[in-house]
Amino acid sequence: MAFWTILLIIHGLLAVALLGAITHQAVSVWMPVRSKAGNFVTRFRAVPSTSYVMAIIVLYVVTFVMGAWIYTQYRFTSRLALEQLRFFKTVGVFEMKEHVATIGMILLPAYWAFWRQPLSEDYAAARKNVTLLLAIIVWANFLVGHIANNARGFGS
Amino acid sequence: MMASSKLAVFTVVFGVAYAVIYVISTEVNLPLLTYHPVIGEVDFLWTPERRGPAMYWYGWMLTSLFGALALGWIASAVPEPWVQRVILFVCLAAVAYLLFYTLALFIYDKATVELEFLKSRSLSVVAALVVAALVVAAAISFFAPAKWNQRLWPGWVCVVPIGALAVLAYYLTPYFTR
Repeated sequence: MAFWTILLIIHGLLAVALLGAITHQAVSVWMPVRSKAGNFVTRFRAVPSTSYVMAIIVLYVVTFVMGAWIYTQYRFTSRLALEQLRFFKTVGVFEMKEHVATIGMILLPAYWAFWRQPLSEDYAAARKNVTLLLAIIVWANFLVGHIANNARGFGS
Repeated sequence: MMASSKLAVFTVVFGVAYAVIYVISTEVNLPLLTYHPVIGEVDFLWTPERRGPAMYWYGWMLTSLFGALALGWIASAVPEPWVQRVILFVCLAAVAYLLFYTLALFIYDKATVELEFLKSRSLSVVAALVVAALVVAAAISFFAPAKWNQRLWPGWVCVVPIGALAVLAYYLTPYFTR
């Protein structure tokens, strides 16, 4: 059980890094700063969004693979306990998490193509939209994973 | 007007096709493999659970992956306007099917006589709804302005996956209503 708990913690830490990167990029691309950076919020928006692309792709793939691995253990331990406790809503949102994670994964090729250098003006709108959708997906899955773990996490 | 790059066409069609095939795979249950986590064994295609639950998610992803790769490859080889037309047509057909099915359920609810066939998902009703949806989609696609079909709209890669998520969420409603 310690092995899976450590894996879950690493999965969570990777998700935090991914959350920070995608949020930075989404904010910088949707609310770009025109003038010199000043306070914390302005500096948060002023990051060079293109430099996050590869980090986001790698973090997403690694977090996804780790999550898919942990899922095998969840399926016959935590989930069975959640069902016995009649926590059906928790099971339901976790089922949705797997679908949302998959949909996020399939956005990555287009996300990478739209962010390729030199940035094409033809894909400016698509670039912004895919980045925002990916950010929403990462946030949703992070929160759902957190809730599911609080309901009946490893070691509980 | 310049054509989109082959890479962009491939990635957009890959995302769109994957989302659609994934929804179909989950609904009809078409996994390419089944994993049995308790005994750590993998079976080809769908198999029932053995000594513990069976996991189909990996199989659905693989089914969708191969389908999307094939369609993406085909899309990057054919003229771009065709790809745009096909995606527009399929999306319109999906929306039309949803509207027809909702209408059928509405009529079933309001009718003073029992029209059980409207509620059922029997082959004939589904086929009728699909044909009606295809006719509507074909008509709208045919009369769509030419500029709509010159280039592949990159926004499909967001619109279709969002639609797929809505359908997947709908299928999970029993978890929230019991």
